[in-house]
Amino acid sequence: MEQLIAELKQRIIESLNLEEVKPEDIPNDDPLFGEGLGLDSIDALELIVMMEKHYGIKLKDASEGKAIFQNISTMADYIAKNRKK
Amino acid sequence: MRKNIVITGYGVIAAKKISKIKHLDFQEFTFPVGEVDYSNTELKNLLGIAAAKELSRTALLGIYALKQAADNAGVTTNTPGKKSLISGTTVGGMDLTEKYWQQIDNHTDIMLQHDCGSCTELTAKYFGFFDECTTISTACSSGANAILEGAEILEAGHSDIVFAGGAEALTKFHLMGFSSLMILDREVCRPFADNRAGLNLGEGAAFLVMETEEHALARGAKILCNFAGGGNACDAHHQTASSPDGEGAYRAMKQALIDANISPSDIQYVNAHGTGTVNNDASEMAALHRIFGEKMPQIESTKSITGHTTSAAGAIEAVICIKKMQENPSLRYVMDNSFGFGGNDTSIIFSSPLECGRPRPPKNITASEAACTPTIAARCEITSEDEIAEIKNYLKPAESRRMGKILKASLLTSLKALKQSGIDVPDAIITATSLGCWENSEKILDDITEPKPTLFMQSTHNTIGSNIAIYLKSHGYNITYTQGAQSLDCAMRKAALLINSGKATSVLVGLHEETTPKYRELMEKNGVTDFQAIHSVAMVVVKKNN
Repeated sequence: MEQLIAELKQRIIESLNLEEVKPEDIPNDDPLFGEGLGLDSIDALELIVMMEKHYGIKLKDASEGKAIFQNISTMADYIAKNRKK
Repeated sequence: MRKNIVITGYGVIAAKKISKIKHLDFQEFTFPVGEVDYSNTELKNLLGIAAAKELSRTALLGIYALKQAADNAGVTTNTPGKKSLISGTTVGGMDLTEKYWQQIDNHTDIMLQHDCGSCTELTAKYFGFFDECTTISTACSSGANAILEGAEILEAGHSDIVFAGGAEALTKFHLMGFSSLMILDREVCRPFADNRAGLNLGEGAAFLVMETEEHALARGAKILCNFAGGGNACDAHHQTASSPDGEGAYRAMKQALIDANISPSDIQYVNAHGTGTVNNDASEMAALHRIFGEKMPQIESTKSITGHTTSAAGAIEAVICIKKMQENPSLRYVMDNSFGFGGNDTSIIFSSPLECGRPRPPKNITASEAACTPTIAARCEITSEDEIAEIKNYLKPAESRRMGKILKASLLTSLKALKQSGIDVPDAIITATSLGCWENSEKILDDITEPKPTLFMQSTHNTIGSNIAIYLKSHGYNITYTQGAQSLDCAMRKAALLINSGKATSVLVGLHEETTPKYRELMEKNGVTDFQAIHSVAMVVVKKNN
């Protein structure tokens, strides 16, 4: 899980072009959207693309992302359980 | 009194139902669409264009609708007067560009048809009677803005007969783009329904023939209805989402009502933007409630029949409004709403021919103000990529992380020019760009089946002007011209028009262009060499008393 979390942080930084953010700046349990990293709906779409590309997970509806992208822990949990690659 | 603008003809081509893709070479795309049921070959046959001639589907659809409109209004080469074509398109020649992109080095001439302005010029060329072309690219409100522009230039006396509307063909480029934004419905869309789940993309074209009442009567034309008024405003909220209270939509409708000098209760029918997405319909309904209160007129969206024809939507729906009035003479005032990415919101109102012209008062400006001509109060220009780094002084890295070079450059020159002029928020933002956000478009073209939401969101031309509006929270008039080398002329003419008509006292006008090494290489093979990697000029135009 720890390896997945580290990998995930790196991929989030890359796919969202968060140049000034380092993996250690993203706490596992802080909100990704709104406060915290301050991500928005377009970032959610990029995260959906990233999950499909790297983990083979396809979301049918963008609203499913809300629960999954709460924070790094919820995201890693969901990926670990549903990944196809 | 202000001149009365009338509609003397229209032409339209659109889908009659939502179905699976048939003609576009993209069978693997499973979302349903509103596709015009003619192949390109069939369209060329109908129009007498040689089958071997490469012409974008946008142009073919445009020519089809324009031909019908000219016949309907009885306008030919022999009809006297200056004739202008104002077309709204965002896709332009993209259908050809994407078809040949993987072998583009062997088809460099295709790039000469790519940009929206060239697409309009090729459309106009078919007829041989247009004295000038203007292309407006404000995404899904382009067609409505073209009609509003038509009324404005007729009123200012810049033209005698205007063909105004929009044309847009389905492309892989924007089908994949909308799909990456996850706002497409797998079923036929259900605008305003509680269980709505997104939009269906469509294609088509429509044009209105517009002239002053005096001109129409002098040439014996039949008057179908009046252009009663129009409003353009910017939501200035987000590139792809509408604000919860529908501020931009509210302002556009409010201004259209003021321009028409009527009350909300005079409107009997609204052809809503009503795309079917959760966000658009909630925002538009909030705005409609703010305008009409408890006394809502009949409101409908026709996008479940035509699909969302993006740049053509405002024009196709204007024709639907006019047909409604023809079928039902008790309809006196009808409204056509069109909202685009970046919050480019426009509302136009037509009135029945039985209404004696626009009951509009003369504009509330004094004679001295009427003699105002605009002047450039401040100017800022950048011509190299190195200069863009200065944006760091204005934006945090988090704020600019998604912006391509043209967005950073245009925002930078705009902010510097505004600072120089001492104006915080201009009354209007007018953007000129021949090619728009080409860098992002090229990245999308390189791998067109990969979803790229951020790049797509910043691939429409009006992203530039709406990015500035969102940063400044500028809700005023916001429009983008994409007419090749004449784009800036169109923008400056508009700035003068807005200032001289009293609609604005300060206008931010920008010319923003970006290219890539690949684009320059392709255009060099076409003999065009004067492209820079980045070129951004922002000017603050204000009124000056003579």
